[in-house]
Amino acid sequence: MTDTAPPIDAASAPTSGHSLGIRTRTYLYAALLIVAAVVLVPLVTTALGGFKTLGDLRGNAFGLPQTWMFSNYTDILVSQRYWLQMGNSLLIAGLTVFLVLTLAAMAAFVFAHVKFFGSQHLLNYFLIGLMFPAATAILPLFIRIRDLGLLDTYWGVVLPQAAFGLGMSILLFRNYFRGMPLELFDAAFVDGAGYFRFFWHITLPLSRPIIATVGIISFVGSWNSYILPLILLNSESKYPWPLGIMVYRGEFSTDWQLILAFITLTITPTIIVFFVAQKHIIAGLTAGAVK
Amino acid sequence: MAGLELRNISKSYGAVSVIEGINLEVTDGEFVALVGPSGCGKSTILRMIAGLEDITGGDISIGGEIVNDLTPKERNIAMVFQSYALYPHMNVYRNMAFNLELAGKPKAEIDRRVRAAATMLELEPLLDRKPSQLSGGQRQRVAMGRALVRDPSVFLFDEPLSNLDAKLRVQMRSEIKQLHKKVGVTSVYVTHDQVEAMTLADRVVVLNKGIIQQAGSPMELYRQPANTFVAGFIGSPAMNFFEATIVGGAARTAPGVSFEFRPASRLTEGQPVTVGVRPEHFQRTGQGPGLTGPVSIVEPTGGQTFVTVDLAGQPTVVTVSGDDLVEAETNLTLYTSPQQVYVFDRETGTRLSEN
Ligand SMILES: Nc1ncnc2c1ncn2[C@@H]1O[C@H](COP(=O)(O)OP(=O)(O)O)[C@@H](O)[C@H]1O
Ligand SMILES: [Mg+2]
Repeated sequence: MTDTAPPIDAASAPTSGHSLGIRTRTYLYAALLIVAAVVLVPLVTTALGGFKTLGDLRGNAFGLPQTWMFSNYTDILVSQRYWLQMGNSLLIAGLTVFLVLTLAAMAAFVFAHVKFFGSQHLLNYFLIGLMFPAATAILPLFIRIRDLGLLDTYWGVVLPQAAFGLGMSILLFRNYFRGMPLELFDAAFVDGAGYFRFFWHITLPLSRPIIATVGIISFVGSWNSYILPLILLNSESKYPWPLGIMVYRGEFSTDWQLILAFITLTITPTIIVFFVAQKHIIAGLTAGAVK
Repeated sequence: MAGLELRNISKSYGAVSVIEGINLEVTDGEFVALVGPSGCGKSTILRMIAGLEDITGGDISIGGEIVNDLTPKERNIAMVFQSYALYPHMNVYRNMAFNLELAGKPKAEIDRRVRAAATMLELEPLLDRKPSQLSGGQRQRVAMGRALVRDPSVFLFDEPLSNLDAKLRVQMRSEIKQLHKKVGVTSVYVTHDQVEAMTLADRVVVLNKGIIQQAGSPMELYRQPANTFVAGFIGSPAMNFFEATIVGGAARTAPGVSFEFRPASRLTEGQPVTVGVRPEHFQRTGQGPGLTGPVSIVEPTGGQTFVTVDLAGQPTVVTVSGDDLVEAETNLTLYTSPQQVYVFDRETGTRLSEN
């Protein structure tokens, strides 16, 4: 009993980039740079615009600020309104993410592991939801939410958002669960676990990448969602930031520098969240693609 | 600990029958190997014993109790899988403790049992490692440790060594044998490797197409194979087969080429048979005319050399001592002794000779 082979390092697999020719790589990087620019230019312009004076912004939209007006940002950061809207957005997104993760993971687990009559049809039924953005169903949705007495409540926004997110999330979770070795299931069953304990003790701890992926997708979706809160919320005190910006713009319609600063501050959280979770997200999206 | 009994077990997937009427009794503490070619239903039998697969017909009992409808947990079996199926996110300790944790055993008892198993398998220094930080052989031992901690009535192994390289496989094979000597748990071991089955088991069950061909001690299977399948499956290199007819009490393969043997019952003149001779049962010296043919291939392995000779127009493998210098393209004369010549019914494959 003395075998001591080195630990196996899954991360040391060669990347495909090494096999590309220099020419191909040049084109590849050029394309990537263009895409990056398309994404970055508006972001950077917005963030820098927030530091300018209005006159500066008018005459010099894309350059660096002549004087750095940090007060544009600090004024917003000390305002109650900003934090209220941030709080609303966070609360709505948090509840949405929680609902989507819990429900989608459990449903996907059943679709992945339990054969029952009509399971395929039921899955297809969930997936039909993928084809309709929430906006298409806005009128019946409004009526239903009103009948439930949930108009102008956080839950009134959270529930439909979670429902529309379920289709894609179930699909992602199911594919990931399917990719897990079946012998793990057998081993756990022999160890005395049932479906529930297998889900809790084995499946979930091994699903961090897909949990992060689905979590981020629903978080960002909720964070940026505009139409649903617009229709379903009335009180300004419950507005998430996309609605808040509209109000803000109404009040400061000429002070574009302030609006840009406000926007920058509201999208920062999603960017932070994304960078924190990015390693997991990429693993989650590609899992199940290669068996 | 307990014995295990399969009574008339069958299994079909839809209309496809995979296992047909298996009867097998494993006595308390016995080590039985199920061996057969890939796809013959070995894993299916093991999974039915474990309770991971429903049985279509028959009864399985463990310790005298019918367990057909019990869950794996209630059957108190432990299973070692081919891929080990270790939980990747748990360290070695928790992998072994998981079953006891689920059973709600007190912490102190869990710790005592995990450490006892770890000591027996020399896993103590690895208890904090994750499976990905272990070598193949170490993972294999953790899988056994996980089975061991629960003190099962029956140990089930499904090709546990086939993911290891040849050298490690031999080493782990003897570790499994020692472990069984120490703990003496009733064990069923599935493999497609007849050498593994022969070296490990008290009793070997040869399976083909979902039917038990023969069950017996390794030497019984080697010396008295019930039929051509077992004769060809057990032993390496495999037995040589010749088509022959009974002429004057001997089996004649070609004019002037015949094998003397000891018939087990009356045979009719002209009956078509299959003659089998193991490579190691050809001798260089002997009585009678012998069989002569040209050598086509010589494969030295050290202690033994495998020589392919054309006998009666058929390539025949012969094992000779490594010290015997045999050269290709020369003629070799070989002798057999009657009790080492196997004669089988050509149609049914059943053995007709007394060996
Ligand atoms: N879930 C299943 N559905 C249909 N056929 C199966 C299933 N599982 C196994 N089989 C078939 O049963 C036979 C025996 O399989 P198995 O017990 O795994 O063989 P072995 O372990 O001896 O290689 C094979 O022919 C296989 O194709
Ligand atoms: Mg198998």
